[in-house]
Amino acid sequence: MLQSYFPVLLFLVIGALIGVAPMVTGYVVGKVLGTIRPDPAKQSPYECGFDAFDDARMQFDVRYYLVAILFILFDLEVAFLVPWAVVLKELGLFGFTSMMVFLAILVVGFVYEWKKGALEWE
Amino acid sequence: MMELQQLLQLPLQLMTQYLGTDLAFVGWSLLKIVCVIGPLMGGVAYLTLAERKIIGMMQIRIGPNRVGPFGLLQPVVDGVKLVLKEIITPSAANTGLFYLGPAMVMIPAMAAWAVVPFYPGFVVADINVGLLYIMAITSMGIYGVIISGWASNSKYAFLGAMRAAAQVISYELAMGFALIGVMMVSGSLNLTEIVEQQGRGIAGGSILSWNLIPLAPLFVVYFVSGLAETNRCPFDVVEGESEIVAGHMIEYSGMTFAQFFLAEYANMILISAMASVLFLGGWLSPFPASIPVLGAPCFLWWVAKVAFLLFCFLWFRATFPRYRYDQLMRLGWKVFIPVTLVWIVLIGAWMQTPFSIWK
Amino acid sequence: MTLALFYLFAAILVLAALRVVTARNPVHAALSLVLCFFTAAMLWMLIKAEFLAISLVLIYVGAVMVLFLFVVMMLDINFESLRKGFWRFFPVAGTVAAIMLGEMLLVLTSRYANLSAARLPEPAAGFNSAKALGKLLYTEYFLPFQLAAVLLLVGMIAAIALTHRQRKNTKFQDPADQVAVKAADRVVVLKMEAEKPAHAETDTTHTGEKA
Repeated sequence: MLQSYFPVLLFLVIGALIGVAPMVTGYVVGKVLGTIRPDPAKQSPYECGFDAFDDARMQFDVRYYLVAILFILFDLEVAFLVPWAVVLKELGLFGFTSMMVFLAILVVGFVYEWKKGALEWE
Repeated sequence: MMELQQLLQLPLQLMTQYLGTDLAFVGWSLLKIVCVIGPLMGGVAYLTLAERKIIGMMQIRIGPNRVGPFGLLQPVVDGVKLVLKEIITPSAANTGLFYLGPAMVMIPAMAAWAVVPFYPGFVVADINVGLLYIMAITSMGIYGVIISGWASNSKYAFLGAMRAAAQVISYELAMGFALIGVMMVSGSLNLTEIVEQQGRGIAGGSILSWNLIPLAPLFVVYFVSGLAETNRCPFDVVEGESEIVAGHMIEYSGMTFAQFFLAEYANMILISAMASVLFLGGWLSPFPASIPVLGAPCFLWWVAKVAFLLFCFLWFRATFPRYRYDQLMRLGWKVFIPVTLVWIVLIGAWMQTPFSIWK
Repeated sequence: MTLALFYLFAAILVLAALRVVTARNPVHAALSLVLCFFTAAMLWMLIKAEFLAISLVLIYVGAVMVLFLFVVMMLDINFESLRKGFWRFFPVAGTVAAIMLGEMLLVLTSRYANLSAARLPEPAAGFNSAKALGKLLYTEYFLPFQLAAVLLLVGMIAAIALTHRQRKNTKFQDPADQVAVKAADRVVVLKMEAEKPAHAETDTTHTGEKA
């Protein structure tokens, strides 16, 4: 089994190399040709020609966390659905019903979110 | 066909003869990886040209036509230009993370291809949980965007990254639920088996037995979520050049920018390839097997399906105006997730009845 | 080969875990934690738990750590000030850690755990961990499975109760209403008799329109 995963590992390593190679090429070519000429104006953060007023890292609306938390919960639901979906043909009616109960409980949560307006983006 | 299979195994046999079994396995894997990544890179380069040409035609323009015949050398020249451009490191940025961002975008876009099948046996790694692997690897793509947006220390980049994160995770859910439907009917996570399963059934291996028809709503959800995952039009609020001037990519130049660009196009091809494998029967022919030549499964069918879906990506870009952010979130959470859930329950119930077409 | 990979991944895991606690920048710490989860998944893969390994990447790397990164990136916390008391609290924290380590060692080295004799069973050819899990989880472990659903439900409700605030006086559009709108709601087409004022013909010539 592990043998079939070895190419995946190799692919990850090569993917990492490809992820770095273009930047390294660009940097080396830039150094050789001397195109890398930093100056303070060029290196300042882009802000439509102004100097940046303050640090760009600011507090954000709590709504983004809510989306992320709900995402985790639903992602877990997907993870629970995967083994069920794979064996559904062999599970029979009991296995099917068991998942329907699971989904029903979570749909309660989904309806609650919906009614509370947590899914609104105002 | 048999001779072709044997011919393709020839390098493996030669390597085994001269290098021993272990090294030959490594060499063979490397060769397969090169055979996937090489054409992929070519595909990415020419997809950029195809995009400009096709959108040009749709807008009654010519598109690039100066470099080489029909502008065919344009991607090469673009590449040279990007290599020669200066790489700027903003002084306010966290240098290490600033360069980690583009790499983290690129790695998942490449690594996902490890399990994509092109034809029976033509896959780098034929693993049991291929579909889950794709889901896991593509969910890592978001890190590159968040890291580059934060490390740039620019307001536009940060805004773009936060938008991207919320958008991508919302649509990842819809995509995950859509994939559950495919797993249910095929009873497997192995992508080759998922394609083979679509060749069986009462319709006898034509377009009628593909997942496309019984899972039509899931296909639409998957493909539209794919548009949103790759931040393509009409869901490109992440770049939104008229409001946040390219978002998380704004501080990048030259090859660092090119990496975001390459990864976006590689992801487009990946989404198309996955949609073709999961819903459109991969290499299976749309005609019944009884028709000679046309009815036979062939790698070219796979190419044709992927090419058509890629054309749809470009077509949508030329057709639809950009979604507003609240509409976009509403579509993901309030339309796609309920639709997929209902369809999963329906298909599941259908499979419990004697009328199930997936025995 | 497997052993060499195990030591490689284990070394990466330990180093990344150390970076999580020692990194000055919280974003670096969170990213080190991502690396931790990823290498832990690799280790699980080495003991042939393919479904669990990839689920770990899918859930912890793909979902949980995104939230962590959100939090450390968007909360404007001054982490330097949080760090100040480090050496003052170190003795207490160190004692707690030492006790935990001792307890774990006691359990793991005891006769009952019998770790030295334990061997991972070799999965049979064609064994599919996702299918094996599925066959057990939804039938034999019905009740724990439903409890998981309840747990998720509680999580959802708690998240909304804690973070959701209905903002007053915001002006926003409801896309559902916008989509549902019909032409008849916006434009009223009135049927009326054509009226012809006496000077109508001279007026049209001034507009310069040609049909």
